[in-house]
Amino acid sequence: MLPALALVAAFLGIPILQAVYYSFTQWDGLTATWVGISTYTHELRYPIFWRVFENNGLLLLGIPVAMLLPLGIAFLLNEKVPGWRFFRSIYFLPTAISWVVIGMVSLRFFAQQGLLNGILKGFGLGFIHTDLLSSERGALLAVAITFIWSMIGTNTIIFLTGMATLDHSLNEAARMDGASNFRVFRSITLPQLRRFIQFSFIITVISAFTALFSLIFVMTEGGPGFGTTTIEFFIYENAFSHSDYGTGAMLGVILFFMMAVLGIGQLAIMRSKD
Amino acid sequence: MKIKMKGKQVVIFIIMSLLAVVMIYPFYFMINTSFKSNAQFLGAPGHSFFSWHKLFKALPVGHQLLNSTVVCTASIAIILFVSTLAGFSLAKMRSKASPLFFLGIVGAMLIPLQSIIINAYVNEANHFNLLSGYWGAILLYSALGTPFATFLMTSYFRGLPDDLIEAAICDGLSYPRVFTRIAMPLAVPAVVTIIVLQFIQIWDDLLVGLLFIQDPSYRTITVGLGALSAGRTTDIPVLMAGSLISAIPAVVVYLIFQRQLVNGLTAGIGK
Repeated sequence: MLPALALVAAFLGIPILQAVYYSFTQWDGLTATWVGISTYTHELRYPIFWRVFENNGLLLLGIPVAMLLPLGIAFLLNEKVPGWRFFRSIYFLPTAISWVVIGMVSLRFFAQQGLLNGILKGFGLGFIHTDLLSSERGALLAVAITFIWSMIGTNTIIFLTGMATLDHSLNEAARMDGASNFRVFRSITLPQLRRFIQFSFIITVISAFTALFSLIFVMTEGGPGFGTTTIEFFIYENAFSHSDYGTGAMLGVILFFMMAVLGIGQLAIMRSKD
Repeated sequence: MKIKMKGKQVVIFIIMSLLAVVMIYPFYFMINTSFKSNAQFLGAPGHSFFSWHKLFKALPVGHQLLNSTVVCTASIAIILFVSTLAGFSLAKMRSKASPLFFLGIVGAMLIPLQSIIINAYVNEANHFNLLSGYWGAILLYSALGTPFATFLMTSYFRGLPDDLIEAAICDGLSYPRVFTRIAMPLAVPAVVTIIVLQFIQIWDDLLVGLLFIQDPSYRTITVGLGALSAGRTTDIPVLMAGSLISAIPAVVVYLIFQRQLVNGLTAGIGK
């Protein structure tokens, strides 16, 4: 177990400790001067930071969609109509594709002359000519839609795995007692799926906050303005475009803190229910 | 074969077919567009190999595919080496330090790449001079993949009966021998899961490759493609040809090892 420990400590453990230290400094990559918590207080008064924070918050609004859609799809697949295995493979396919490729295709989909406007025109709705990528909120919406699309595979698989573990005798017993379909779903199916719903929630939030760099890099480069700059992209911008490593490290610590709270909270919930 | 479907099933079938179109559309778009010249993409009729020729001139495709293969293979080899050893000792050679170590490894799964990337970058650049070849990226990919792989291997080895190990020890086998002769052959499914999961993750990555491989001649295909698009190449068909070629290996791996990939994704839920 020592090789694993050495590898993880050298490339993850030490850097995260360093990040905490450097988040209290002004640092350009070569020389660092200790400035205490002033990086934090300065950043918290900086409107752009809150703008970026808000983008992460808005992405959170997409999480329910990114979970409910796959939940519905998993239910349909679970009906096991002929060909369901084939459909399952198709839905899961985007999981293998890089965000770079997804971003490039998505860019064409939302473009002025792209498919989205083509479809609208085809339905006689040509007057709603969309140009999502040119406005701040619109571009974020386009990123969010792309994100939701690419989470369909992973979340569907998670829910489908969960449904395979369901105890069907419970359903029948409840039906015998006269429970409605909806009541069976709410009181029997959902509680049994709780673990899987939690897991999917964690995976989806982690992806939204830490996996979208390449997508944003290819689709919008964080713009227009700061419209699609999320915390993870802001870290990259600060450090590698503006050589402000201290602020980058600080943002990294904030992101780590957010993910750690999420992970520990999840662990606590799972422990308490067992 | 006659397939009978009830009304409800027909409706579900239709919905699933429509959804399949939504999911498969990007692939159709990539293939279709890549076989057009820019003029054909903008409206002229017909298909051609023009953009494929252009792609091979703009991007050293073969060389970058090779780079991707080298980086993936080396990283996965390191991940497997350290995670199987660590998993086995955590599961079967428990000591007082085991729980603490396990907690540390699982805790490392919570560290986002973006939180450590600046320091990892500066460390590698200033102190170890690792950014000139493949090694900077390989070592970071290995470190990033190790926590989950160790977690997976530990739970897998825990599932092996203790009696089996003890019997082998009684027969005079040493722990290293038990590991190579008995535990490893039994762990093939878990190992395959790790290989598939990591292959797709590393093959598809942009951020680490972009920063930790500084010499363009060592660039992976995904980074090459990212750089090509960031260079504001407006030639969509060329970009689509590149996308297609970079996506194919991961898609092939996915199609062959679907089951292992699903196992890997759902392994974190626990039983």
